[in-house]
Amino acid sequence: MRTYIRVVTALSRAAGFFSCLLLLAAVLVVTHMVVVRYLLQGSTVWQTEFVTYAAVAATFLGSGYVLLLKGHVNIDILPNVAGPRLRRVLDVVSVLACLLFCLLLGWSSWHFLYEALANGWKTPTVWKLPLWIPILPLPLGLALLFLQYVAELLRARSEASR
Amino acid sequence: MSPGLSGTLLLLGLMALPAIGMPIAFALGLASILALLLVNGLGSLDIVGELFYGGMASFALVSIPMFILMGAAVSASPAGRDLYEALDRWLNRVPGGLVLSNLGACSLFAALSGSSPATCAAIGKMGIPEMQKRGYPDEIAAGSIAAGGTLGILIPPSVTMIVYGISTETSIGRLFLAGVLPGIMLTALFMLWTVIACRRRGLGLEQLGRRFSLGERLVALPRVLPFLLIVAAILFVLYGGIATPSEAAGVGALFTLVLVVLIYRLFSLRRLGLVFRDTLKESVMIMLIIGGSELFAYTLSSLYVTQSVAAWIAGLEVNRWLLMLIINLFLLVGGCFLPPVALILMTAPILLPIITEAGFDPYWFAVILTINMEIGLITPPVGLNLYVINGIAPDIKLRSILLGSLPYVLCMVLAIVILCFVPEIATWLPDQVIGAR
Repeated sequence: MRTYIRVVTALSRAAGFFSCLLLLAAVLVVTHMVVVRYLLQGSTVWQTEFVTYAAVAATFLGSGYVLLLKGHVNIDILPNVAGPRLRRVLDVVSVLACLLFCLLLGWSSWHFLYEALANGWKTPTVWKLPLWIPILPLPLGLALLFLQYVAELLRARSEASR
Repeated sequence: MSPGLSGTLLLLGLMALPAIGMPIAFALGLASILALLLVNGLGSLDIVGELFYGGMASFALVSIPMFILMGAAVSASPAGRDLYEALDRWLNRVPGGLVLSNLGACSLFAALSGSSPATCAAIGKMGIPEMQKRGYPDEIAAGSIAAGGTLGILIPPSVTMIVYGISTETSIGRLFLAGVLPGIMLTALFMLWTVIACRRRGLGLEQLGRRFSLGERLVALPRVLPFLLIVAAILFVLYGGIATPSEAAGVGALFTLVLVVLIYRLFSLRRLGLVFRDTLKESVMIMLIIGGSELFAYTLSSLYVTQSVAAWIAGLEVNRWLLMLIINLFLLVGGCFLPPVALILMTAPILLPIITEAGFDPYWFAVILTINMEIGLITPPVGLNLYVINGIAPDIKLRSILLGSLPYVLCMVLAIVILCFVPEIATWLPDQVIGAR
């Protein structure tokens, strides 16, 4: 169990690091695009799409890491006023609900990815990027989030039994 | 019971999910997916992934991580301290100068960071101890900074305004401009109240501290001016119609990052990494709420909730100002529980048709909405700024922070009332710069 938590945490961290790199890349590419378009009066082909998909990919891949940082904003009034026992119940219920969300949306996004692959969808621009590439981070990110939530559940259980 | 009705009930019931502590983004998504499953059957699982994805994959949304990065870079540096010091040196001869420089620093830093808690933390770290040192009571010191910090979401560039612009399909440049004059007005109201509060306690405002020579004053400028120039440049580019918000924000973020590294010698990779980590944390949180609310808005409209509510309100034929009052109360209560971005995303699809139906200007309404959320930031139970102040000034009791912030809440209510009587405060500047709609 401890190995599981450690491996998943490391995975989330790695994905978070990659997401930060994506954000950095997005900043650089936006600037590059502005320079080409406004200073050199040239036209840009792939930059707009790249930046959009990089920001989205960073969001999905980073979601597990942000969970680790406790960055997903929630309303914690009720858990805070509840007694320790009720709080533990609320925590578990809310984690289970999050797992259900990851499962449902995850299932749907694999379906989306499959369709994009099977139909050979491409982005509707000159770049014609195969659409499955920018979609891939969605199911991957949700899978990571699912694993991280399971890790949180295990951690909470081991803390409770101590 | 028809599936539509039961779906609606389920959706409303599941809105209790955030109350047990589930993250807002996932709660919105789960409630929507379950309601869709109930009404449309398993087939809905074919589309929710695509909807969620589509809600986020837009170039306009790129401006969110970019502006957050800009704010995170500024917040990680001592720019807040320098800004504070520069203003103090320039304003210390003016009566009540310290208060003015505190609130002025808040509104300038708000423009830089676009975030209320960040503004609060950056200026409060310097401003609160300084005010305490010069004999200001805790309530005024804490309250003015808590209130001044809320300006972050009103004064452009503001992430909250971007989110409003995206979810209501209104022009972000215009929204930014609409926030300028109300932001200045609110700053002035805050200043006015602080001066009055000090007078009432028999506090002389002539505690000048020391004098600064012209040389000392000029020395304070070079570190501050570049950042202000960046903001000015972003606004100029936006309103000149030269670049889109995402482009302006991206270039602005890179410039800010480079400036922070050069001016403050922030060469360590670890600290730069922290800037990106903070950016990721904030933008993932916001972007996922955007995705979740995309599902939520889709579900609401496919269950005809949005349409029914709008039709119901239109059918009531109530006075439009009474309607505005009800909406404001609703937003005030909502703002006490939900963070600004979540509140906008959840209510905009329902409120916007009502607002436009009643003949209100959506840009003016954005300002009203934002001030409501500013109030939420300094009222319990989730008043983020109160906790930020509590964190940076642990010697001040939470009770004093609360009591000190209360008069500023009234200032904001007053600002809303003034804006209702004189909507031009919000609409005049955009009309002048961009042209009438």
